[in-house]
Amino acid sequence: MWASIAWRLFWRELRRGELWVIAFALFLAVGSVVSLSGITEGVKSALLQRSAQFNAADKVLRSSQPFDEQLFELAEQQHQLSTARQMQFDSMLFSGDAMQLATIKAVSSSYPLRGDLVLYRSELVTAGETAVLTPGQVFFEARLFDLLGVKVGDEVELGLAKLQVGGVIVNEPDAPLSVFGGSPRVIMHLDDVPATDIVQPGSRIGYRYLFAGDTTALAQFEAEANDKLSVHQRWQKMDRESAIGGALERAERFLLLAGLLGIVLAACAAAVAASRYSQRHTRAVAIVKALGATTAQIRLIYGSHLLLVVLFSLVCGLVAGQLAIGAVQWGINLYMADYRAEFSIRPLWLGALTCVICALLFAARPMWRLANTAAIEVLKQPAAQFVVDKLQWLTGAAAIWALMWLFSGELVLSIGLFLLCAGFAALLIATAAVIVRLVKPAAAGQASAPKLAIANLRRRLWANSFQLITFSLAIFLALLLYFLRAELIGQWQRQIPEGAPNQFLVNINQQQRTVLNNFAREQQLQLDQYYPVVRGRLLSINDEQLQQEATKEDRSQQRVGVGRELNLTWLTALPKNNHILQGNWFTEGATAQVSVEEEIAERLEVKLGDSLAFSIGGQQVSAVVSSIRKVDWNSLQPNFYMILSPDLLADFPATYITAFYLPAERNQLLNQLARLLPTVSVISVDNIIAQVNDIIDQVTVALSFILLIICLAAALVLVAQVQATLEQREQELAILRTLGARYALLRNALLLEFALLGAMAGGFATLLAELMLLLVQQRVFELPFTPHYSLWWMGPALGIGMVTLLGWWQLRRLLSIPGAQLMRRVLQG
Amino acid sequence: MNTPEVHINAVRLAKSVKLTEGSLTILHDISLTINRGETVAIVGASGSGKSTLLSLLAGLDVPSSGEVHLAGQALHRLSEDERAAIRAEHVGFVFQSFLLLPSLTAIENITLPAELAGVKDARERALTLLKQVGLSERADFYPAQLSGGEQQRVAIARAFITRPAVLFADEPSANLDAVTGQKIEDLLFRLNAEQGTTLVLVTHNDELARRCQRQCRMQAGRFIDTTTQDLADVG
Ligand SMILES: Nc1ncnc2c1ncn2[C@@H]1O[C@H](COP(=O)(O)OP(=O)(O)OP(=O)(O)O)[C@@H](O)[C@H]1O
Ligand SMILES: [Mg+2]
Repeated sequence: MWASIAWRLFWRELRRGELWVIAFALFLAVGSVVSLSGITEGVKSALLQRSAQFNAADKVLRSSQPFDEQLFELAEQQHQLSTARQMQFDSMLFSGDAMQLATIKAVSSSYPLRGDLVLYRSELVTAGETAVLTPGQVFFEARLFDLLGVKVGDEVELGLAKLQVGGVIVNEPDAPLSVFGGSPRVIMHLDDVPATDIVQPGSRIGYRYLFAGDTTALAQFEAEANDKLSVHQRWQKMDRESAIGGALERAERFLLLAGLLGIVLAACAAAVAASRYSQRHTRAVAIVKALGATTAQIRLIYGSHLLLVVLFSLVCGLVAGQLAIGAVQWGINLYMADYRAEFSIRPLWLGALTCVICALLFAARPMWRLANTAAIEVLKQPAAQFVVDKLQWLTGAAAIWALMWLFSGELVLSIGLFLLCAGFAALLIATAAVIVRLVKPAAAGQASAPKLAIANLRRRLWANSFQLITFSLAIFLALLLYFLRAELIGQWQRQIPEGAPNQFLVNINQQQRTVLNNFAREQQLQLDQYYPVVRGRLLSINDEQLQQEATKEDRSQQRVGVGRELNLTWLTALPKNNHILQGNWFTEGATAQVSVEEEIAERLEVKLGDSLAFSIGGQQVSAVVSSIRKVDWNSLQPNFYMILSPDLLADFPATYITAFYLPAERNQLLNQLARLLPTVSVISVDNIIAQVNDIIDQVTVALSFILLIICLAAALVLVAQVQATLEQREQELAILRTLGARYALLRNALLLEFALLGAMAGGFATLLAELMLLLVQQRVFELPFTPHYSLWWMGPALGIGMVTLLGWWQLRRLLSIPGAQLMRRVLQG
Repeated sequence: MNTPEVHINAVRLAKSVKLTEGSLTILHDISLTINRGETVAIVGASGSGKSTLLSLLAGLDVPSSGEVHLAGQALHRLSEDERAAIRAEHVGFVFQSFLLLPSLTAIENITLPAELAGVKDARERALTLLKQVGLSERADFYPAQLSGGEQQRVAIARAFITRPAVLFADEPSANLDAVTGQKIEDLLFRLNAEQGTTLVLVTHNDELARRCQRQCRMQAGRFIDTTTQDLADVG
């Protein structure tokens, strides 16, 4: 029987606002959780897939020892992964009298597992028919044709083997980015390696195991393989190579937490609406109970209302969230044609869980209390305002913390954040209390709009400081997000400004500089500065000899070295994106000094004042460490571990690195350049820049989306709050109207009340936002303090505008109801 | 103690409420026996405790001390829900301020108690009652669309739908004009006669009080002897 009563009441109640507010709040919570976590997952997997392309595989194992067949068997047979093999070593190539040191990469037929290997049967990367790597052939980096003086079809010698030149390497997915000044690259088939007889005990060869496949299978395989790995084998870090991996990670956490606060706001709106719903129904419950309904029956009735609302919101939220995810995946597909969208169940259950937590801990409690109403309440005047009981505060707080934990996945972080929020709330309540005390009660005399407004504020602020907290929090979040968004995007764009160099030229000699300068002038290209590069080996630190091969066995006997040749440069000015951590940059006329990058200094255990000896072109050069530098490796510019003072290297023959910006539509210029300067390598970072820009776009969209959610949630809180006072306002208006107050007076009082409330909330929000922004600026972005002047008018303006508009929108109907009708409605109860 | 004749039995009822400072006793030492089918009027000045007494007799509330028995059940020993079950089965109510559910129509308000008690033919009964109270035309009106007298008639129809053995009415005609009030009173007594209901009604109206078989007069939370005082003295 209760079901039909519940159903009927439910439909009638839909016409009043509260159920919709609850439904919309829950919908907002579910929808935003699903879409946010789905979108960040999508972007993450797109990035992972990108970086898989840059690595030619999903997972790469590096080793200095020959291939372990067991691992391939394990991967292929037990985990259904595809595999490829790769060996890399430096060796001399001979053609007639010419010879050239090259970096040889020998790959199996299945290479690459991700991304594309593009080879042309041609000497030029710009034109030619596509070729496939077959045993017996080698493919060259473009500049090697000139260096060796060979053409396609010629024979070259590598070790003991004779191989035919098959063509040019156009795209090598996992080509190293840090090839500044490296040897020219060669790709050959793995099957030809034995014939070269190059693999001897002691020769330095890098072995790579490439794996690709299903994410879960990969994870299982990695876990199982980890037990079998020797000291010579280690996994290659996959995302470190992505230029802004760290920034994205920070952004993701920020997005989720910002989104979470939006959800908390929405949940507050649900709580207010549920309280209001319960308060308005207290009378009805008392009546129905007086007529003989039991508590259990009431619980069923109102429980079913909540359940219907929850189900409705849940379904709508899941669908809307999934749609948003679909839209984003579609967007990713636009710029990444081979993006494999993966359906993930995680966002869905995360959304459902959020919905249940919000409904149970925010909205269920008032409804539960409602059912406990005693029948005798029918004889009493109903309370005009809902009272939030202690347990409600407690469950609400618990829910907020639970959500924080759920989203951050970190206990300590969630507790910290929760305490921070609680602190904010306490601060706001205290301030509100002080303000209410300070505002003097209106003196007796003629009724005026400000007097009425302040009287109203005084009463309601006290009854409901919760209202002020949520408004302030909402405006604070909106402001914070708006400004942080600008700051985040600005920071990223500073890293890659419009027109930043996207083509790097490496291996330029002194004579070629003039040719290049002329070329640049003719074509109106803006060349970056020339960085001189001299290759050298670090021999000793403070006269202590370094081991030259980084093998783990004899680490104890000898100090660890770098293990390879270094690119050394000399500069008079500290490069951009470099910061001195210790010591000082070279002064004018400094002699025999070196500035060392922080990470390598730590690895080599080098301190200020240590003396480093380098071997350069057979000569020995010593320098004293005069500074330790921090280098932003994410910046797209040549970076150096060691920068020497100009006096040391100026006499050595150097090659140069420079860079320029070339718009995509002028790409054919690169051919001219290749013909003009055949031995110079051109390294394009276009795809890295494209990737970074994509991510910036995505994050910008996500941030705007969250901003929207927060604004919606804030508006919802306001709507719920105003609804909660509707009845009381009706009563007051009826009385004032009957006592002869004019429409204009009532309207002005109402507008003023909301404007004051909005100004107060906006003011608090501005203060908090400025504090937070300064903190973030200093801690996260490492920027100097700069006050945000526009914030100081935007905050209060936003507060006044939002609160007044929404308040007016809801209450104007009340004002326009004729006095008699209003009176009647009030008497109805 | 309960003979089949005795329908309601209150023994030394007292009710006090807690105030911020101390407590206030609003009913003192009330004893009352009402037989099946009897009509009893409770009269007294405003604030003398009539509504409070009614709420105790009907089991809406429990006394601070004393006993209440209704239809053989010791109300003072039962829980809120057990009392609700008894109200659903035996008790009809007409409140001083109508107390209709604003979101239900007239007919839905009337059927509500029957539905709660699980009565099958609730709608038919409601239609009959609507006719009896002269509101057939207003079945689908919401309380806000009804006049005060019409609302009170809906409330009376609602009180009778479960065919309660006992009906409590708290000033059923106080808010109405004389003619409408008269009609409502007639309706109450007619339904009482037709269904053999025990009727306990609170009123300021002497004429109405005289229509009852017995009058109990209250003053400051106590019964005063009705035989020694003329009803007409009190207004
Ligand atoms: N919950 C309560 N708290 C404090 N005082 C109460 C409470 N309930 C009733 N009273 C007081 O008890 C007295 C009796 O109230 P009651 O409503 O029973 O009077 P009444 O006889 O029905 O009056 P009326 O004819 O005006 O309806 C009143 O003085 C009232 O103020
Ligand atoms: Mg009364």
